[in-house]
Amino acid sequence: MSKKTEESAAKKVVKGRTSGQFRCLNCFERLTPPPGAKTFTCPNCGYAWRIYWFNPGEPRIRGPVWDVNEAQTQKSMAENKGGK
Amino acid sequence: MALSRKIAYIDLTNRRVRTAPIPLEMRKLYLGGRGLDMYLLYNHVKPGADPLGPDNVALVSAGLLTGTLATASARTHVAGKSPLTGFVGSANMGGFFGPELRMAGFDHLVITGKADGPVYLWIHDGEIEIRDASHLWGRDAHQTQTMVRQELGDDDIQVMTIGVAGENLVRFACVMTSLKNAAGRTGMGALWGSKNLKAIAARGRMDIKLAFPEEALEYNKEIITQVTSAKVSKTMQKLGTLFIWGTTNSTGLVRVRNFQSNQIPYADDIEPESIEEEMIGTAGCFGCQVHCRGRYFIKKGPYTGAYVEGPEYTSLGAFGAEVGCTTKQTVLVGNHLVNMYGLDTLETGSMIAWAMELFEKGILTEKDTDGLDLRFGNDEAVIEAVHQIAQRRGIGDILAEGPLKAAEKIGKDAIKYLIHVKGMSNLHSDERPTPALALNIATASRGSDHLRSRPAIDLYHLPEKVLRKIYGNPVPYDGPLTSDYRDYEGKPWEVIWQEMCYEAVDCLGICKYHTVFLGPNMPNFSEWPRLIQLNTGLELTSKDIWDCADRAYTLERLFNLREGLTREMDWLPDRYFDEKTDRGLPVVRGKSIDREEFKKMIDEYYKLHEWDEKGRPTKKKLEALGLQDEPTHKL
Ligand code: SF4
Ligand SMILES: [Zn+2]
Repeated sequence: MSKKTEESAAKKVVKGRTSGQFRCLNCFERLTPPPGAKTFTCPNCGYAWRIYWFNPGEPRIRGPVWDVNEAQTQKSMAENKGGK
Repeated sequence: MALSRKIAYIDLTNRRVRTAPIPLEMRKLYLGGRGLDMYLLYNHVKPGADPLGPDNVALVSAGLLTGTLATASARTHVAGKSPLTGFVGSANMGGFFGPELRMAGFDHLVITGKADGPVYLWIHDGEIEIRDASHLWGRDAHQTQTMVRQELGDDDIQVMTIGVAGENLVRFACVMTSLKNAAGRTGMGALWGSKNLKAIAARGRMDIKLAFPEEALEYNKEIITQVTSAKVSKTMQKLGTLFIWGTTNSTGLVRVRNFQSNQIPYADDIEPESIEEEMIGTAGCFGCQVHCRGRYFIKKGPYTGAYVEGPEYTSLGAFGAEVGCTTKQTVLVGNHLVNMYGLDTLETGSMIAWAMELFEKGILTEKDTDGLDLRFGNDEAVIEAVHQIAQRRGIGDILAEGPLKAAEKIGKDAIKYLIHVKGMSNLHSDERPTPALALNIATASRGSDHLRSRPAIDLYHLPEKVLRKIYGNPVPYDGPLTSDYRDYEGKPWEVIWQEMCYEAVDCLGICKYHTVFLGPNMPNFSEWPRLIQLNTGLELTSKDIWDCADRAYTLERLFNLREGLTREMDWLPDRYFDEKTDRGLPVVRGKSIDREEFKKMIDEYYKLHEWDEKGRPTKKKLEALGLQDEPTHKL
């Protein structure tokens, strides 16, 4: 059988993983909210997200802060930023 | 050895069983699971056979790696000609049945004919018995499994079964094992019901000998770390696949009220995190460390105390946004009922949502529904509709026929509001802003379906460099690839790559959450050769595995063409082109699919597949895969 001669693809992938962040669903910027934060506003695009910490160091977007994001969207649609 | 498992031919009409080895040559061409099943389907089902007649064939299989040390090698494949679409019937389930079937000595079951009364199969240590199942007929999927275990006196027996929906030939009935694992799509439960086949029980003590057990264990540890360290897996450990719905709804890519909107705001009670509050833990399938299956007790209403697993993304769509309901109780109860009845949750929710839109538009009235108030958001009516479908009562009897047949029965403009492709309802997602995902559902081989070829990672805005690394292996690709999910260009290749990837995992018997489905850095063609070699001793390159997948996928295409598939059926409902999304982020709002661009995508997709302009594999392609003489009846 073949011998392993170098670091496997699996090991390399594991080394490259990040934590403590999520990507803004609107602008895809990587965001680092303060630990335990319940909401976080993207400094890049102004969209606000409710956060769920699925473990103490790992946040994910639970959902939008609906009224903030709807207002942002209305504004940006008026300026025709939807594109394409 | 893992490769020594047999194929069994079970003739229910004459109650005869014959077994045979599976030649290595066939393994090298089709691997196992879905791949070999597609060979068997093409070879054993006569063209034009009635899907609910004795000429259809019910196939059950384990994958090449099922039951080995390979991570999440839990899968069982179920196939036949679909009673729902008339095309390929194929569905894949987790749990523990596949590994047990292998330990009982078998990899593939080919079930033909029709029993003269209800039967179940008892498979144990190389033996297969056809047993009476009269006392099981009419029992739900959970009761049946318990009764079979009691009758055979072994709690470790694994059972696949149909529920009442399959007995009643509901065209989207599924086959179930344990509490929630469903071979859900394409109506395989109805096919079993038509054969009077209630269940299959398996128990085995025949070791699956591995080629290099120590090395396989070591390598699997690496793969497990690769899978479990991914954020997507860690999220699934907590929320199950529900988490997808949260993200999708936040963007504006879910289907709401039968395609009338693409986002449901302020629906906090059905957010995954809210449903998680009900969970008492999670469960996993054979050999899996992700454990994505939520477990909970129903705490209110007539099903109080029922112990349940799930719900998944699709049940949240089916009993939430699609039917305009926003209470988790409806999602949890709906999920429980489809599991007991053995119904495809996706199709059930879609049919109810469609009926609700017809009701809203006056195409269906209370006269048609015997007073059932099918207004969107009527939680009680949704639950009642599930009972009616499974029991074929009232309007449920029509809905049980599936999209196209039901639309024909209802008449008027009903068909206009169907959200289906090839007679199978679409996932509860909205693909109008995402052409790649739209192409996936338009072309998938078992009808509209996300698990056949969805490039879900297209939504992640990955840099082109990353996309090239994934989508350029093992077949070089230097055409366009873009990070923008609104693009049409470059997406056909992503769809084809995912087709091969999902076909390959279905041949291997590995869970899709352990490959490039929801996470980009998951095991795929690079890791599989070593996994196969260490577990089975079979030496295959990444390209060999790709070719096996391509061969099986091409046979699926040939089967569908033989059953009447045309280019026009690789298409989307008109609403995808004519109605624009009304909610969501700016990138998805006001979007519809462009007909011309989409037509070009289909052309490109066919070209990359080496199919002609009508979607038929070319002679050159068939020869390259060695399929030019099929059916060859080698098995
Ligand atoms: S990820 Fe979930 S579905 Fe897949 S094998 Fe693990 S527990 Fe089963
Ligand atoms: Zn942002």
